[in-house]
Amino acid sequence: MKFISSEKIPGFLEALSARSTVWAPRELTGSGGTVMFERWRPGDPIDLEHYSSLSAKDVVLPRTEKLFGYTYAFGGSPFSGGLGASGTAVAASDSDQAPATSGEQIVIKPAEPAPSTVLFGVRACDAKSIQVLDALFNNPGGEGYNDPQYSARREGLTVITLACTTCDDACFCSSFENGASEKAGSDLILYPVDGGFLAEGVTGKGGELLSEPFFEESELAPPPLAETAVIEGLERLQEILPGLFDDLDFWERVSERCVSCGFCTYGCPTCHCFNIHDEMQGDREGERLRSWDACMFALYTQETSGHNPRPTLAHRYRNRINHKFSYYPENQGEILCTGCGRCIRGCPAALDIRDVLRDALKAARKE
Amino acid sequence: MKATEPLRPEPATVLEVITETTNIRTFRIAFDDPALAESFSFLPGQIGQLSIMGAGESTFALSSAPSRRGSFDFSVMKTGVVTSAIHELSAGDRVAVRAPMGCAFPTDDWKGKNIVLVGGGIGMAPLRSLLFYLLDNREDYGDMTLVYGARTPGDLCYAEDRRDWESRADLDFAATIDTACAGWDGCVGLVPSVVEEKAPSPENAVAVTCGPPIMIKFALQSLDKTGFREEQIYTTLERRMKCGIGLCGRCNLGPKYVCTDGPVFSLAELRELPDEL
Ligand SMILES: Cc1cc2nc3c(=O)[nH]c(=O)nc-3n(C[C@H](O)[C@H](O)[C@H](O)COP(=O)(O)OP(=O)(O)OC[C@H]3O[C@@H](n4cnc5c(N)ncnc54)[C@H](O)[C@@H]3O)c2cc1C
Ligand code: SF4
Ligand code: SF4
Ligand code: FES
Repeated sequence: MKFISSEKIPGFLEALSARSTVWAPRELTGSGGTVMFERWRPGDPIDLEHYSSLSAKDVVLPRTEKLFGYTYAFGGSPFSGGLGASGTAVAASDSDQAPATSGEQIVIKPAEPAPSTVLFGVRACDAKSIQVLDALFNNPGGEGYNDPQYSARREGLTVITLACTTCDDACFCSSFENGASEKAGSDLILYPVDGGFLAEGVTGKGGELLSEPFFEESELAPPPLAETAVIEGLERLQEILPGLFDDLDFWERVSERCVSCGFCTYGCPTCHCFNIHDEMQGDREGERLRSWDACMFALYTQETSGHNPRPTLAHRYRNRINHKFSYYPENQGEILCTGCGRCIRGCPAALDIRDVLRDALKAARKE
Repeated sequence: MKATEPLRPEPATVLEVITETTNIRTFRIAFDDPALAESFSFLPGQIGQLSIMGAGESTFALSSAPSRRGSFDFSVMKTGVVTSAIHELSAGDRVAVRAPMGCAFPTDDWKGKNIVLVGGGIGMAPLRSLLFYLLDNREDYGDMTLVYGARTPGDLCYAEDRRDWESRADLDFAATIDTACAGWDGCVGLVPSVVEEKAPSPENAVAVTCGPPIMIKFALQSLDKTGFREEQIYTTLERRMKCGIGLCGRCNLGPKYVCTDGPVFSLAELRELPDEL
């Protein structure tokens, strides 16, 4: 392994930022300790001590991104009414606003290419979660869906992970196979040691960085990694949860305090549900956007008729837990949670997903 | 559909707008790219997403004959923002389409069987496509029955097709309305009771039903009384959808996605899934 001293980190980041966009964790000004992954520019402080409130998933799956732009090439668009005050689109109804004439074209313009990006200072659980998202969005040439924009971003992404030597009481990554020693999704791992970090290349991309002048040879041994609390038997939930599905009392009890704010899904590194909507810019052109959405929101599944298959909090919470610990494992062979603890630290109602998982395991044992 | 960018629709043009009822119109659409227009194909039961740039995208059953080349139909009921914008369209207007998506009715497995179709209101859209397909391959199937109902004569879609279906000797067709009214000399009564009256034999048969949830509920009871078992009954499901490719997470029913694993399900399959309709 090689060594990089703490003093050399800013210089290393500066060198990276000369050729890539760099994202690093920093405390939001005036937030009283909220750490987020932000675009880093030379001179910016970074915070490698605290966990970020939201994960860094927006580096691969931005909160809002343009799927494509569109223009009506000439003539009036069939939508010349433009946007109403509420922000919802309003159809033109008077016939004097001529509908699209024949000959007019809709021109679809692809989104801009993704920049090359370095994600600095994520934890093993977050690096792992990027690999989890890869299974859904990034399958170039293989079976399954390949999202061109996600893939382009992923191709240009280098992940530099900060290994955890301590943890807080919301972390439970040790409940999953590799816990804090997880290497999947990382290109380079930094292990905190006295005066700096030991650096281990995981992929070719990460290994190449070690030849930069900021790194020196080292004989130091890597530090022991954090051991977090363990919930035994999470893999059994795939079998157990279907049996609990119709026990609405159970779901009402465990989600009683939830306020449907959606933080647990927005903060989560593996949640990936999205909405697609259009925004007009004037009446001739606009953009189609993809943005984060969450199954914890009441309107998420509401149908036009007013019917909602998940009308209450309990229904929605049930879906979130089932998706992560039953449906996703059934479809993808993997649990959709890394034990990062964000949904526990950030829930305004102090709901703890671990309690729910333990309760579900217990309920099954009783039967 | 271009496999590389399934979220990006292909420009298309409205060729014709057919007013079906006060709130349902059928839009005949062709892709602008002539090669795509010609090569485009789908199977009955499959769906597509129709975009009006600025208003958004909505999901509809492909309602035309799969054998028809060059264009396809969506029959759209006006209910909200996107569907209202669609209803503003006239021939020559530009739209964009992602299609085909989802799974089709397993028509190959049904070869040699008698077929009973039970449709209500806009739920006739996917059944229309299916019926065209079955009639195009008439010799592969046994007896064919269609019960199609709406509240009033004015709520029945596909007037021209119905004339053809009525005149065919190889299709037992009943259009029914809820209550008798002047000028209607056809069948009167709710769809499920007409099914019960006809009492099609469940022997070597499949039944397909699509319509408002309440109609489906009672149609299933009628089919059950008639002796149809769960694995002989098929339906298509609706859920609020966005991506149409099993990714946005919106349309799941347990581990299945209506947009990719459906919209066609047999009743036996549905019984295996969590009850979250
Ligand atoms: C498989 C399938 C096949 C279908 N086939 C047909 C067919 O052949 N013909 C037909 O007419 N219809 C069909 N439908 C129904 C059709 O898709 C809907 O009627 C249509 O999408 C309504 O769109 P709208 O924008 O007009 O409705 P709106 O009412 O404007 O919006 C739809 C719903 O979304 C909710 N909503 C709006 N914005 C948001 C938001 N930002 N976040 C969360 N929720 C929001 C609203 O509460 C509303 O309930 C089908 C649906 C499916 C799933
Ligand atoms: S963060 Fe807590 S309160 Fe908010 S939606 Fe999630 S469980 Fe409910
Ligand atoms: S469910 Fe909670 S603990 Fe699991 S990955 Fe998401 S935010 Fe982290
Ligand atoms: S519509 Fe997105 S998952 Fe089905």
